[in-house]
Amino acid sequence: MDYSNLRRQAASMKKSLFDQGYLDEQFCQVEDLQDEASPNFAEEVITLFFKDSARLISNIEQALEKYPKDFNKWDAYMQQLKGSCSSIGASRMKSECMSFREFCGQGNVEGCMKSFQKVKREHGVLRQKLEAYFQLLRQAGPAGAATRPGM
Amino acid sequence: MASKNQGPAAPRALVVEDIKVDLVVLLRMLRKLNCEATVAHNGKEAVDLFLEGKTFDIVFFDKDMPVMTGPEAVTKIRAMGASEVKMVGVSADFGGLDAFMQAGADVFVPKPMKLETLDAMLQEVIDKNMSG
Repeated sequence: MDYSNLRRQAASMKKSLFDQGYLDEQFCQVEDLQDEASPNFAEEVITLFFKDSARLISNIEQALEKYPKDFNKWDAYMQQLKGSCSSIGASRMKSECMSFREFCGQGNVEGCMKSFQKVKREHGVLRQKLEAYFQLLRQAGPAGAATRPGM
Repeated sequence: MASKNQGPAAPRALVVEDIKVDLVVLLRMLRKLNCEATVAHNGKEAVDLFLEGKTFDIVFFDKDMPVMTGPEAVTKIRAMGASEVKMVGVSADFGGLDAFMQAGADVFVPKPMKLETLDAMLQEVIDKNMSG
């Protein structure tokens, strides 16, 4: 198997994720925390992120239904999700979280609902893309950590 | 590049954070800087550790947590007389700056924290411990 080609593909995929705004520099910071003792740290954190974020999204969904116009509660949940997005560099998701919070601040129910749908969409897309990225890295082997994209 | 804090004893850190992802990343950063940390999952757990007589050189508080927030915990711990411990407020919410500083924190750092920032803070604590 051509491992160097796989690593190039992974690097290209990661660059694309940055160029399209899905990820920001914080993702590189997370990858930089990997070492021989924790070679899969980035993938472990991302897996944890998607597990946690799915739960938070579910909480927000329930809150939107059970607590109509409780903008403080909605905002509090979304603040948690936004924080997690920041921690892993999920840039587009973070932006949608911020939009949602702005609508909460304005007391705009329709805006919140539409924004929440965007949050869910970005969550799903990012999950697919990062799953593909890490699968490629696994195929590329232990030295498969892609290099920083040209930013 | 982040330095490894060797030689003098590594600072005793406490991380007060309820979101797993944020906690895991910060703990990994601390470990990379040779700093092992104790964990509290909300402000009350942090306060309880101090009430038990535990001491720390540096404490990182998230802002919004269940049971007790970061600023509330900072206020209570300072009121217990813990004036020397470096207290760092960490939040993705920029409104956290005022809340933490009014509560008595030493510094506020927006999330996500950079490794270089963390290294510099730990080095300050080490320097202070060596000179004290």
